[in-house]
Amino acid sequence: MNLPMLLSLILLLPLGSAVVIALFLRKRGNLAALLSIMVGFTVMALSLYVILTSYNPARTVYPAGSPESSLPSAAMQNWLGMAGPVWAEASHHWLQFGDYVFAMGFHFNNLSALMLLVVSFVACWIQLFSAGYMADDEGKARFFGGLSIFMFSMLGIVLADNLVMLFVFWELVGFSSYMLIAHYYTTDFANMASKKAFIVNRIGDLGFLLGIVWCWDHYGTVRLSELENIIGYHPGLVAGGAATGIGLLLMCGFVGKSAQFPLQVWLTDAMAGPTPVSALIHAATMVAAGIYFLARVFFLLPPFTLHWIMWSGAAMTACAGLWALGQTDIKKTLAYSTLSHLGYMATAVGLGYPQLAMFHLAMHACFKATLFLGSGSVIHACHHEQDIYKMGGLRKKMPITAATFLLASLANCAVPFFSGAYSKDSIISAAYLKGHDEGLIYYGVYALVLFGALCTALYTCRLFAVVFLGKARSEEAEHAHESGASITIPLIVLGLLSLAAGWTVYDWKWAGGLMTGLIPSGCAQVFLGGFSALEHTLEEKGLGHGLEIINVIVVLAGLAASYAFYGRSAAAGDPLAAKSPGAFRVLERHGWFDDVYDWYVAQIQQHFCDVLAALDKLAIQFGGGQVCAGGLSGLAGALLRRATVGSIHAYVYWFLAGVCCYWFFAVR
Amino acid sequence: MDTGLQAYLTVAGLIFAIGFAGVLLHKNTLIIYMCLELMLTASTLALVAFSRFYGTMDGALFVFFIITVAAAEVAVGLAIIVALYRRRRTVQVDELNFLKH
Repeated sequence: MNLPMLLSLILLLPLGSAVVIALFLRKRGNLAALLSIMVGFTVMALSLYVILTSYNPARTVYPAGSPESSLPSAAMQNWLGMAGPVWAEASHHWLQFGDYVFAMGFHFNNLSALMLLVVSFVACWIQLFSAGYMADDEGKARFFGGLSIFMFSMLGIVLADNLVMLFVFWELVGFSSYMLIAHYYTTDFANMASKKAFIVNRIGDLGFLLGIVWCWDHYGTVRLSELENIIGYHPGLVAGGAATGIGLLLMCGFVGKSAQFPLQVWLTDAMAGPTPVSALIHAATMVAAGIYFLARVFFLLPPFTLHWIMWSGAAMTACAGLWALGQTDIKKTLAYSTLSHLGYMATAVGLGYPQLAMFHLAMHACFKATLFLGSGSVIHACHHEQDIYKMGGLRKKMPITAATFLLASLANCAVPFFSGAYSKDSIISAAYLKGHDEGLIYYGVYALVLFGALCTALYTCRLFAVVFLGKARSEEAEHAHESGASITIPLIVLGLLSLAAGWTVYDWKWAGGLMTGLIPSGCAQVFLGGFSALEHTLEEKGLGHGLEIINVIVVLAGLAASYAFYGRSAAAGDPLAAKSPGAFRVLERHGWFDDVYDWYVAQIQQHFCDVLAALDKLAIQFGGGQVCAGGLSGLAGALLRRATVGSIHAYVYWFLAGVCCYWFFAVR
Repeated sequence: MDTGLQAYLTVAGLIFAIGFAGVLLHKNTLIIYMCLELMLTASTLALVAFSRFYGTMDGALFVFFIITVAAAEVAVGLAIIVALYRRRRTVQVDELNFLKH
């Protein structure tokens, strides 16, 4: 089987599973779960097979010995070096309107390989987890059908070879996210949250769609490989107003999906969905799709767009980290943590290291999925209690959950040798390098991301200390016990990866040199393109170790301060709320973004809609409806009513008149 | 004396006109119904005359069909009139004006 066929199989299996569940298994939750999980593991196995067997070191970006004149521009060479050679390319017509052809196809390079592995790997374990978590749920079949359709849509984004196809699947993940957030549709909050997520994403997607149209107009194509070619040989095209406009509009899609400033408000509300959904869609994969998209079209982004992404990402890193301290809901704390980490990835893209962003994406997927699944396990054990100040002391009652949660927490804080450290510290170092190389103002980015790292240590330690240490604060926490195997096995697998996934960076040769770190030596470049390039630069400038030490000091200081402040308190409320209610309230309201949007919708948009409604009533309902349609048909009715006289003789005359008419036309 | 086609057609036309006038002028449903039958008969007379005049059988054959259908139609029509009478206690058309707006 060749690579495009394998990729089609990977893409279509989850769709098949979703269709079978929707058509035949709606009343059979257990069968639906079994099917969905089996498909999940098959997809993972196929993805691993593709990555381990199809990587070909001999495949290069350009043919060896190409003459200098036939190479693309330096910037493009740099990018192609990061994204790697194309493993497979396939495309066929989907729709054709005149000269416009919409294609469906695959564009598979190192970036897609990494993303494919992350999505399929995390997804199958989370599906296994869901089997335990959703065991007694009435809508189990609907839930697993939703997960399957999500997998299909997400894999579509990963493999898409052109922007239109990418947009189609982009909307499909939006739909599946909407469907799964509203899983508990009998509660008002879940319904509102799902609508909010959907509508806020639409705002971003409108920009995205306009960006695609403009891109088609400006560059003449939306196929990634053709865009690479055009821009590679005409680097001057990515400059000036149009290119900046396209870059900013395409960025809107990322801002919506990855919940970056100013559209971040939907992500925390999306926690109304079941916890496995939060882990899979709103932490590990879908929200990271925005980052993946930026990495895919990195060469289309001119400097101004990159600056915007960098600054907003860095600001989000720091702000979301702070806001996480004001949350008492375990999942909301983690949601702000996700925002903060998406900020890191965005900063990396903005700094010009899309591969590094992808590396952090992969690490983040491991440890954030573990954190969410761990919180799911806790919530399950405490009978759907989500307030961390009603938990406590769960370390002894739920040892496996506590241990894996600890591993993932340490990875989240970027403690050395945990997975998060490799990617996150590199991003912080890259920010410093930008300041070092290009001017004082970029030290601002460094300060923001470093402050973000401090906040990460603070809120992570707070979360762990309040939930797992100390004494139980409620009846439910008192009687909690460890969850079953289908919950603990995914926790263990992903927890160990939170520890070890970063070890891929080490150049350990084993198995006769076939393996480097944890991966086959051949594939190392798939994961580490950006990382090794950055390490190399840092080494050259002699900055590596100093920055590393600063990071470690910041993290350890944060952990110690947080433990001193939160770890000792046995009170039933947040110590910060007790000591400084004003400050806590500021953090809790997370920048008043929701309030501003509420005010805007109620005060401005509503009035605008009222005016439109009045116009509608005047012009369409009264003018069009009453006068035209109502008036004419009313008049005709009044006349025809007269003809209905109720006398048979009159009808005979009508009949006679009809015959005469007919005769007149027929004989004439 | 051999009467021509024209004489037969004139008689048929007269019968048809009498029937039509009856339909228009009478108030009693039964009489209107008889007048309708009269119009039908006038058309059969014309058909027979044509058939005889041209020496073909198709007009005469047509008449058999018309008589058969008319027999069935009379049964249904009279049944409707009887049902109408049972319901309304009248067969005068000027009192049967319930379709009036």
